[in-house]
Amino acid sequence: MMTDKQIEKLIIEALIELNEGLPDEEKITITTQTELFGLNAQIDSLSLVSLIVNIESKISNELNYEISITDDRAMIRAESPFLNVQTLKNYILELFDEL
Amino acid sequence: MKNKSRYSGKIVLVTGASRGIGRAISFYFLNQGATVIGFDKGEPTISKTNYHHISVDIRDIKEVQKAFFQISKKFKTIDILINNAGVLTSQYAMIMPAEKAQEMVDTNLLGTFFVSREAAKIMSRAKYGRIINIGSMATSLEPKGDSIYAATKAAVATMANIMAKELSNFNITCNTLGITAFQTDMLNQFPKEKVDRIIKALPVPRIANEDDIFNVIDFFASDRSSYITAQTIFLGGIN
Repeated sequence: MMTDKQIEKLIIEALIELNEGLPDEEKITITTQTELFGLNAQIDSLSLVSLIVNIESKISNELNYEISITDDRAMIRAESPFLNVQTLKNYILELFDEL
Repeated sequence: MKNKSRYSGKIVLVTGASRGIGRAISFYFLNQGATVIGFDKGEPTISKTNYHHISVDIRDIKEVQKAFFQISKKFKTIDILINNAGVLTSQYAMIMPAEKAQEMVDTNLLGTFFVSREAAKIMSRAKYGRIINIGSMATSLEPKGDSIYAATKAAVATMANIMAKELSNFNITCNTLGITAFQTDMLNQFPKEKVDRIIKALPVPRIANEDDIFNVIDFFASDRSSYITAQTIFLGGIN
């Protein structure tokens, strides 16, 4: 099963890859608190979708697990799991617990 | 003269691959060097080395995701998606059975959406993709009896136009081919007089042949068509 650190590493890697494709003026600072969604989000909604697809892809290709991060539950939560790196990591860990 | 290796090395996914237009399109790509993955609820009807059949009901998101997991593992990517699977019940609205109406919405619209978005996820990783929907003249001609069918096909074209915007950064194009009458099992459901009347009213008054369809597919699928997206091309002079 995946550890806290492994998931975090995966998200950070996906953010670095996203950053590489962004123009200089839009590049983001990557930390565990990097805001991904909401008023203070550092990336736009399409970049968030791209990031999530990339994370799903990494989990599938590198770890051979198939999970869907954008299922219905993620969308109806009072607090979005996509707020920042930390909340996203916690949500992915929850999904792994259910496997 | 046809280019026999036009699609050599390409991975093409065709939905509704076991019958009718989907089967013809699958053979077309196979004969021009592509590897074809066929989605169909039914058994495979194509037996060729480069054909890979996956039994899947596209109305079921879980089945679709499972199928794409297999594709991701085996083929890594999809270059071209042909959204062909569809069902048609032609009936006056006031007597259309509810379950038939639901079936058209679930297959023609939601099924196409599920397949498109899962394909887009794979295509986005490769930064390349061509999504081609098989639409219908019914969206333009609006014939009696086709209220739900035409609505689902119009919805698919609209969906493609919006997905085209969302996916353009990934070099994925989304287009729709509005076909006219083509000799399939689906066409046989209509009274011959109705079909004849519709064909006679077309600017080019004849039934579509396979090459009419392949011609537009080639255009949308071409590497050169990266600047062609969110478009619908109708056959037979319909607009």
